[in-house]
Amino acid sequence: MTAVSSWVRDSPSAFAFPMILTLHTIGMGIVAGLNAAIALRVLGFAPSVPLSEAERVFPALWFGFWLNAITGVFLLLGYPTKALTNPMFYTKLALVALGLVAQTRIRRRVIPASATNSVPWRGKLIAAASLVCWASAITTGRLLAYTYTKLTTI
Amino acid sequence: MPIFQMWLVTTLRGIKLVAPFMESKWGWAICESVHFIGLSLLIGTIGVFDLRLLGFGRRVPILALHRLIPWGVAGFVINIVTGLMFLVTEPDQYIFNPSFHLKLLCIAIAGLNVALFYLIPFRKLGSLAPGAPPPALARAAGAASLCCWITVIACGRFLTFYRPVPCDKSGPGLIATCIPQRHAGQL
Repeated sequence: MTAVSSWVRDSPSAFAFPMILTLHTIGMGIVAGLNAAIALRVLGFAPSVPLSEAERVFPALWFGFWLNAITGVFLLLGYPTKALTNPMFYTKLALVALGLVAQTRIRRRVIPASATNSVPWRGKLIAAASLVCWASAITTGRLLAYTYTKLTTI
Repeated sequence: MPIFQMWLVTTLRGIKLVAPFMESKWGWAICESVHFIGLSLLIGTIGVFDLRLLGFGRRVPILALHRLIPWGVAGFVINIVTGLMFLVTEPDQYIFNPSFHLKLLCIAIAGLNVALFYLIPFRKLGSLAPGAPPPALARAAGAASLCCWITVIACGRFLTFYRPVPCDKSGPGLIATCIPQRHAGQL
């Protein structure tokens, strides 16, 4: 693992750290963006889009998630102390988990329950919670760079 | 000597409107977070619309999906505003940054693409049969848009890696990749 760690941290190639970060950003755009689009639809915007078709979006969502999980692991391998000693990191992971719970609830409960395209109020609550979760996950992720206390040694 | 760029840096640095916020402890970090939220809104709506133009999710009516575009535009506006806030606070980190140049170029191309899309193929989308492929120009616009915005994201992320350092006595070249200093013989 130390070899991977050094590669992430020290490689001068643009395809190492910079590319990992860029892919992580794109994955973030996919997961948070698509979840935002679904949440906005559940909340009632663009009502002529059939809600049942939102099912087509979930494979893309999971692609984005796994892209970020994998790039995230590489980032963690590069700077483990920096992340694991930062409470903000655990907050971010918790928010991502909550966001995924909201995403799954929308897929399994809210969308099937919206038979005639009208969404029960509980569904709208979950959609609003989804928006808050993903926006907060983005923010905590960004704040990681500003809140860490230790870089490489404990 | 990149006279225009140096003038631009000096002028931008003179705009002090958001300085108290951006120089506060969390101002820059909050601005960045909002910038990322804006980009997510843009990708989630405009990106999805582009993919629909390219043929993904044929059962979703194109014009119905189009109703989400205003949220993407909102994301774009949020990013212009936050982007300008970065620009006026640390102008030399952007004006002399080749990654920023490429980012602006791609945003400009995306803008031209949007204009062309609404001028030409957009009106034909209304008379499209459900599930039928959109006209070739619409598909091209979707592909171009997607490529542009992904490049914009990548360039934005690469900004920190192409941040220019102070120039030595020879000064910057045509594509300014270093920040001119006040050496003897330069401005």
